[in-house]
Amino acid sequence: MPQGHVHPISHLIRAAVDIFGRMGFAFAEGPLLEDEWHNFDALNVPKNHPARDMQDTFFIKDDALNTSHSEVSGEHPQGEDVLAGHVLRTHTSPVQLRYMEGQVKQGIKPPYRVIVPGKVFRNEATDMTHEAEFFQLEGLAVGEDVTLAHLKGTLERFFRELFHGAKVEVRFRPSFFPFVEPGVEVDMRLVGKNVPEKLRDKWIEMMGAGMIHPTVLQNAGVDPKQYQGFAFGMGLDRLAMLRWGIDDVRLMHSADLRFINQF
Amino acid sequence: MKISRLWLQTWFEKELPPVEELSTALTFHAFEIDGVEDDVLDVKVTPNRGHDCLSYRGIAKEISAILQIPLKARPEFDLAKKTDAISITLSTPQCHRFVAGYIKNVNVAPSPAWLKDALEKQGQRSINNVVDVTNYVMFNIGQPLHAFDAGQLKESNGTYAFEVRAARDGEMMLALDDKEYKLSSTNMVVSDKNADVAVGIAGVKGGKPAAITESTKDIIIECANFDGPSVRKTSRALNLRTDASQRFEQVISPEMTLWSMADAIALILELAGGEFVGIADNYPELQQKTSVSVTLEHINKVLGVTLSVAQVSDVFSRLLFSVTEKNRKWTVHIPPERIDLTIPEDLIEEVGRIIGYETITPVELPDLNRTVILNDRYARNEQIRAFLIGQGFTEVFTSVFADKGERVVLNKVDGVRPYLRDTLKEGLKEALERNIRNKELLGLSQVKLFEIGTVWRKEQEEMTYDIAVEKVKKQKTEDEYRVELEQFVKSLPEHADAYPEQQFTTTEHFQHFSKYPYVVRDISLWVSPQSDAESVIRNAPDNSLVQYFARLDRFEKEGRVSELYRFVFQSFEKTLTDEEVNAEMQKVYDAVKARGWEVR
Repeated sequence: MPQGHVHPISHLIRAAVDIFGRMGFAFAEGPLLEDEWHNFDALNVPKNHPARDMQDTFFIKDDALNTSHSEVSGEHPQGEDVLAGHVLRTHTSPVQLRYMEGQVKQGIKPPYRVIVPGKVFRNEATDMTHEAEFFQLEGLAVGEDVTLAHLKGTLERFFRELFHGAKVEVRFRPSFFPFVEPGVEVDMRLVGKNVPEKLRDKWIEMMGAGMIHPTVLQNAGVDPKQYQGFAFGMGLDRLAMLRWGIDDVRLMHSADLRFINQF
Repeated sequence: MKISRLWLQTWFEKELPPVEELSTALTFHAFEIDGVEDDVLDVKVTPNRGHDCLSYRGIAKEISAILQIPLKARPEFDLAKKTDAISITLSTPQCHRFVAGYIKNVNVAPSPAWLKDALEKQGQRSINNVVDVTNYVMFNIGQPLHAFDAGQLKESNGTYAFEVRAARDGEMMLALDDKEYKLSSTNMVVSDKNADVAVGIAGVKGGKPAAITESTKDIIIECANFDGPSVRKTSRALNLRTDASQRFEQVISPEMTLWSMADAIALILELAGGEFVGIADNYPELQQKTSVSVTLEHINKVLGVTLSVAQVSDVFSRLLFSVTEKNRKWTVHIPPERIDLTIPEDLIEEVGRIIGYETITPVELPDLNRTVILNDRYARNEQIRAFLIGQGFTEVFTSVFADKGERVVLNKVDGVRPYLRDTLKEGLKEALERNIRNKELLGLSQVKLFEIGTVWRKEQEEMTYDIAVEKVKKQKTEDEYRVELEQFVKSLPEHADAYPEQQFTTTEHFQHFSKYPYVVRDISLWVSPQSDAESVIRNAPDNSLVQYFARLDRFEKEGRVSELYRFVFQSFEKTLTDEEVNAEMQKVYDAVKARGWEVR
């Protein structure tokens, strides 16, 4: 019988698990239906702040929901009211907190290194480059001396291996995400004959990243005086589109075998 | 924020570099540039810098620090003169400062060309010299202002009185946009206290009745500081976003009011004449002066660099920070408008971005010297994937949104499928039906799908898997596959000791597929045993129209061979007609005939 086909996103997740795995990163997960504390407040995105507008959020009509991850949900210092609502997570970043909270609870100290591939949601109209449901890959490395230079090195290696040994350059531009400080936008450039022409020698915006904000470490129960680390979040759909020259993000979620069976 | 090079130049003596260089400087040291049109940059000011950089002043300071071009000394209008002709009452803690400036006998007239042009570049229509000055100063300094016609305000015992208070539920106000707004107690208004009527929605929009007109003689300029979240709420509730509300929402320093007031009065006196009477200032609680300390060791440890004391000191001086340095530790006295700078990491970012992140050399993380803990669920899912791929299944991802389920989304933009799915079945069934329509094109004898995804049921979020299989005679059924899958899953160990080895796809490029219908044609024929029929037949028709070709069957009988071939024709440009397909098939028949083979 002829072999079937794995979705290109799953191919990318496999590649990420493998490449990051060899750099010491484990695979972590968290709930898609997330409380506002983990999705926003604990990540330094206060209520009534313009930063909260950066992401259009699906809010869920609330009645008590026990997620299967409730055992790592943890306590937070700001009282009941912040737990008011649930949302479809707008990014994979809440899993940074959930992972660290879980480790702290088990008495496991940094170094922490995890990646979090998973579905995220934005409440917006869909077109060739926008989907309401898409995939992100979060990364987190915490230790006593994890630096912005390590972020650069880690991402360079990931792209180099993903693009089969192409010469890869990574550059940072200043940016802002409430849960990192400093915050950067990461661009990548592939150089060399083996690189697909569309990508060759061009700077491409890949993701937001930065050094984890001390408040976020604090909220997760990690002492920011002793530990620091980096975090990044990249769109897997976008990465797949670049990797294989796909021009419409909606194909990724079309369940159309004319697309998937090419992989 | 739109930044024109011409306007920005007013902050500098030395000529600024071309707009492309300004764009590059900001991109790599401050903000993303959304676009450049003529000499105007569209600067995407990040939410943390809305405090100070939604203004020419803020961007000029950035450019000065990045490109090391000194700012021009600016004459400052002296606001020492106070007036008792205006009283200010703050009845809400959400107004942190209210400054009013009184000018008599102005001459309201059209603005000069330079002012009209400047505002046009910000996307603003010119109104008159007084109103235009308030808008110009807002863009220049970042602090919104508003001008009232004093003649339309109620004077009592020689005094005008402003009160900032909560609106009354149901209170109406006709705004400058000629719309009447119905306010509620969560909105804040600026009221003409003597008349007890709202003359402005605080921080959002001024009122029509006291607007500046050609007949205006005396004016009062309002320059206030309103609470960010409160303005944001009001602006949202009234669905009224203005350049002013956008700036207040970001939270700005109450110190900025006087900078704006001084510039506005000087410019109005210059363009519209009049006599400056004085200002009134109600500033109940001074903004606290803050300082933040950071050490060289900390800076280098976070950025992963080896900067010197001199390099860091240079950055702070370029940013015009007042600092003291002792033993490789800086204490920075934070400028009042830089509300974003509160912790050492904020200063580390200032150093990193001004010096430039390109100076950071990539370093790989050190080896952890421990094995990576495996994720059992992911390991199981990978086993399921491998098993089903081996059975010819394709993995799909379908939407989590459904027509029914336990959980419902409150605010879905398109309104359709507001529930979160409680099963994968519906999505898979739909996907199966859609793909069966392309079965021949895909060259499949049976369409088989699987999904590993999240569902919400029994008050739980859970990750599950399911399959969908087309019913085809003499082929395994969905139920039979499901039984095998369950047996396989049961056989998996609870804890994985490795993720299964998987082949990464060898596909390098995605190929577009046609959106037009396809046509299937089969041909079966007798050929001699050693014939090259397959390649002859394959190459007979126009290659660009053949989307799929395969030999479906072959058997030998009495020294002859019977072969069955399938063509799937499809165009990228149009729907193929029967005639067009027949013509292609005729080429096949002709090729067969030329070889002396026999069509069955």
